[in-house]
Amino acid sequence: MNVMKILKKLGPVFFFLFCALMLFFSLRGLPGNPTSKDLNDLSWKDNGPLELSPERGRYALLYSIVEDHSFTFSTDIARFTAPDVAYTPDKRYVSLFAPSLSFLVIPGYLIGKHFGVAQVGAFAMVALFALLNTILIRAIAVRLGANSLAATLASFTFLFATPAFTYAVTLYQHHISTFLILLAVYLLIRFNTIASLAAIWFLCAFSITVDYPNLFMMLPIGLVALVRTFLVEKHEHFVTMKAPLLRILALGGMIIPLAFFLWFNAVSYHNPLTISGTLERAVEIKPDGTPLFEKDVLKKLQGEVIEPIVIDSSLMNAFKNRNAINGMYTLFISPDRGIIYYTPIMLFGILGLVLALQKKQKYAGLLVAIFGFNVLVYSMWGDAYGGWAFGARYLIPSYAILSIFIAFVLTYYKRSFFISILFFVVLAYSLFINTAGAITSSKNPPKVEIAALEKQTHTVQEDNYMRNIHFLDKGNSKSFIFHTYARNYVSAWTYYSYLMIFLISVPIFILVYYRMLSVPRKRKEQHAV
Amino acid sequence: MQYKKPFSLQFTFSNTAIHHVKDFFEKRMTLILFFVLSMLSIAMFLYYYSNGIGLAYNDARSHLDIGRRVVENLKPGFAQLGSVWLPLPHLLMTLTIWNDFMWHSGLSGAIQSMIAYVATGLIIYQFLKQLGVSMFGRLIGVAVFALNINVLYMQSTAMTELLLLATMTAGAYELLMWHKEEKLFRLLKAAFWIMLSTLIRYDGWFLFLFAIGLVFIHTVRKYGYKTAEGVIVLFATLGGFGIFLWLLWNLMIFKDPLYFALGPYSAHQQQLQLEQAGVLATKHNALFSLQTYMYALIYNASFVTVFLGTVGSVLLWFDKKISFNIRFATLVLLAPFFFNIVALYFGHSVLFVQGLSGNSWFNVRYGLMMIPTLAIFIGYFVYRVRALRFVVLGLLLFSTVFSFANHDAVTIDDARVGASGKNVSEVSGWLRTNATNQKGYVLVSVASHDAIIFSSGLPMKRFIHEGTGEYWDIATANPQRYARWIVLRTNDTNDFTFRVLQHNQEFKNKYTLVKHFPFADIYELKPEYVTSLQSLPGQ
Repeated sequence: MNVMKILKKLGPVFFFLFCALMLFFSLRGLPGNPTSKDLNDLSWKDNGPLELSPERGRYALLYSIVEDHSFTFSTDIARFTAPDVAYTPDKRYVSLFAPSLSFLVIPGYLIGKHFGVAQVGAFAMVALFALLNTILIRAIAVRLGANSLAATLASFTFLFATPAFTYAVTLYQHHISTFLILLAVYLLIRFNTIASLAAIWFLCAFSITVDYPNLFMMLPIGLVALVRTFLVEKHEHFVTMKAPLLRILALGGMIIPLAFFLWFNAVSYHNPLTISGTLERAVEIKPDGTPLFEKDVLKKLQGEVIEPIVIDSSLMNAFKNRNAINGMYTLFISPDRGIIYYTPIMLFGILGLVLALQKKQKYAGLLVAIFGFNVLVYSMWGDAYGGWAFGARYLIPSYAILSIFIAFVLTYYKRSFFISILFFVVLAYSLFINTAGAITSSKNPPKVEIAALEKQTHTVQEDNYMRNIHFLDKGNSKSFIFHTYARNYVSAWTYYSYLMIFLISVPIFILVYYRMLSVPRKRKEQHAV
Repeated sequence: MQYKKPFSLQFTFSNTAIHHVKDFFEKRMTLILFFVLSMLSIAMFLYYYSNGIGLAYNDARSHLDIGRRVVENLKPGFAQLGSVWLPLPHLLMTLTIWNDFMWHSGLSGAIQSMIAYVATGLIIYQFLKQLGVSMFGRLIGVAVFALNINVLYMQSTAMTELLLLATMTAGAYELLMWHKEEKLFRLLKAAFWIMLSTLIRYDGWFLFLFAIGLVFIHTVRKYGYKTAEGVIVLFATLGGFGIFLWLLWNLMIFKDPLYFALGPYSAHQQQLQLEQAGVLATKHNALFSLQTYMYALIYNASFVTVFLGTVGSVLLWFDKKISFNIRFATLVLLAPFFFNIVALYFGHSVLFVQGLSGNSWFNVRYGLMMIPTLAIFIGYFVYRVRALRFVVLGLLLFSTVFSFANHDAVTIDDARVGASGKNVSEVSGWLRTNATNQKGYVLVSVASHDAIIFSSGLPMKRFIHEGTGEYWDIATANPQRYARWIVLRTNDTNDFTFRVLQHNQEFKNKYTLVKHFPFADIYELKPEYVTSLQSLPGQ
């Protein structure tokens, strides 16, 4: 009995350790501490772990800060970062991306560097945040009334059965953004103190320094926090509204991140109010070190895309209602990015959303708002497919929110054998797809670029996850562990299969255990009747 | 030691004061909305007028010209209302279009759109009130309509959409009230508004038939066939009076009651040409018709509006707390949706959406027709799902703010770069420069070049066109006696002037092509014949 209790308490710990282990086995990377010259080698860029410009852009800033002690890129680093590098009017190469991700991964980089795996260390920091997200999803779901096993399975779903898995093992901002959102939500539902309010304001402001569109996802959280700043008391004949000074002063939580942001802009762009998206974009660095600007390249290419140019979210004026039809199609139903192809398990989350609203779940509105803003912002964004990417990467915060709702579905239908089986089948499919993405490559072109790519390469090109399956077929994987150790013993497919076996065993175990807990209760109830 | 509480701002409101404020807004919201919507309407008219795109649609200029020809023309009179478009908007224009400023600013046509805009906003408010929707939901509903950038543009121009929306929504509202109260007067009011809509656009004719169906089903269900027959006769007599008048008008003026539908200037003829050109892709393709209209709808209303409105409609129709009669009555709000798809399917309407129908826009503004419907359903959605009311508000705000920030108005694109907005400024500019204060008339077809006439700034009396009866006959037989300039598209037999002059020897011998423009050519009488130009008989 005591053993069972201990196991029950330690269960989540084992679960998160297992998740960490799976992330470790999937983490992308190569051994070594590459210099700025090494980074320009294809083995680090297109064929290696830093395959796309968003990763390179962030890694470049990281490298520049740590190694060159500067926000200005050297020519080699600028060349490595192209086509996503900005060029200032005073002729310096600077980062095109919001800065905080590069700062946050510095500890990982330094630790990794110590062990001769600097890049892996940096990527591991993102994996750490992904793990924290898993913990937060479980915590929020439990806090909101979901069964703890259901919440555990829901958090597992987020981490391994969505494109969040792919972006947990490389250097993208999505998990940091998601972490800030989830942490702020958790603080909102868990506490109502001045310190929690200050922390929420801090997270809101800090999120903008991670990725500019986070402003919109954080907006609902900020508004709830703002309402919390005021205390409304209803009496028999009157209503009082108090605005305690300390609660108002909690808004000061925003000062530090905003000051950091302004300072970064001032140092990088010589103007605290300039953001990188407004600068001229250099897509190539000529041999003499001068930039080749995007507009010149577009003229040269005459509309044909031959480089995987990834445009990240930075321009506010790019949100157009007119993009929304194509954006929604891309994010939800397109074969090259859509949820129903890449992570259909999230449809259970939508069912959970409806359930939560029907049950008048207290924070359902807030969660729906975050989900709604995430979807709307990126459907209106001209590049909903996220450049070359695996799945709908911009929806990673939504996957987290929907996973919380999945916990409600599993709790609500805990006695339904049909739902359990259906959930498992769809989850298995989603795991199969997303594990392939995680250990191979995110370099999947969108459908709109396929024709030009085929013309250039004279080969048939895939625009969906089959590209990743074929990557495995060719015996390739970008997993650090596979690349460094395992490939001497097993093929890429075998490696993938082992991971799949481990991963698929978790939902089997949880679902079976979950049913064992709920069915006897059902039988007892029937007997009682 | 006593604990000292930290400083805190504190406001106290008595419940009575709160109730007073609530009552104030409840009682006066219609008035407040009237004021706010009026101010918004005027501001947007001034904005589009000042930046010169208020009359970007060629159709807007044609509408104004039709109104103007009734009061100022070589042959003024009501016969100038013609058969191409239904007459009510032009009849309303005659009240003000005699004034040159009202004509050339477009205000004569826009003012009815502006009034219709305010009226539609107020009807949406009342509609939602009748559905039992809270003040917040009602205001959201009004805002969805009133802050739509395409609605705001269309209410600033001399087009017929807003007037149609106002009459159709008023008809739908009265029909709802009739279903609710079953007072005969409500039914007559519904018939009246629907009758007006039948005199604005053919969408109204479909609404009329749709409403007959709803009234019939409702009455049969409740009172049996005999009563239903009587009610339908009553409803159709008033509701169909406008259609009857229009058929009569066509019979009297054009000797054919279906001249508007089958005549040489009819939309049917245009559609036939498009079909022959192979660009009427929606015809007999239900799925593509649906897709095309959905795109137009989403481009006009925004995706989030269409999505929320759709969810709202489902919630309303499945809400058993609302009586079946009321839910049934709200089906009338879908009439524009069905009309447009049916019209596209049968080839009676043409709609080009960039990306679906090549790289062009045409008539994409038809998507506007469902915006009051969506506004009502969203208002209801907000009321029903209280937990999401601020979420809905936030999403709508986001979408609206960016539509303004990016000037994301598909109706303006339709007018400026689509087939609806040919740039005739060069032709009209030439005429203005060379024909002002000069002797002689301009021979031109209004069916093809009304926008040129409008933009030239010349008085309507300077133009000889198809609507001038015998003057047209005389001038096309002997152009050199009256027409100093002839505007036509050379070798295009769709241009009526070219069609009648193509074999005319005097035209060939006595006129020279002075200017060639993308949309029209200008021919001028040779100088040696100018002295023999005559005034038209009776002028």
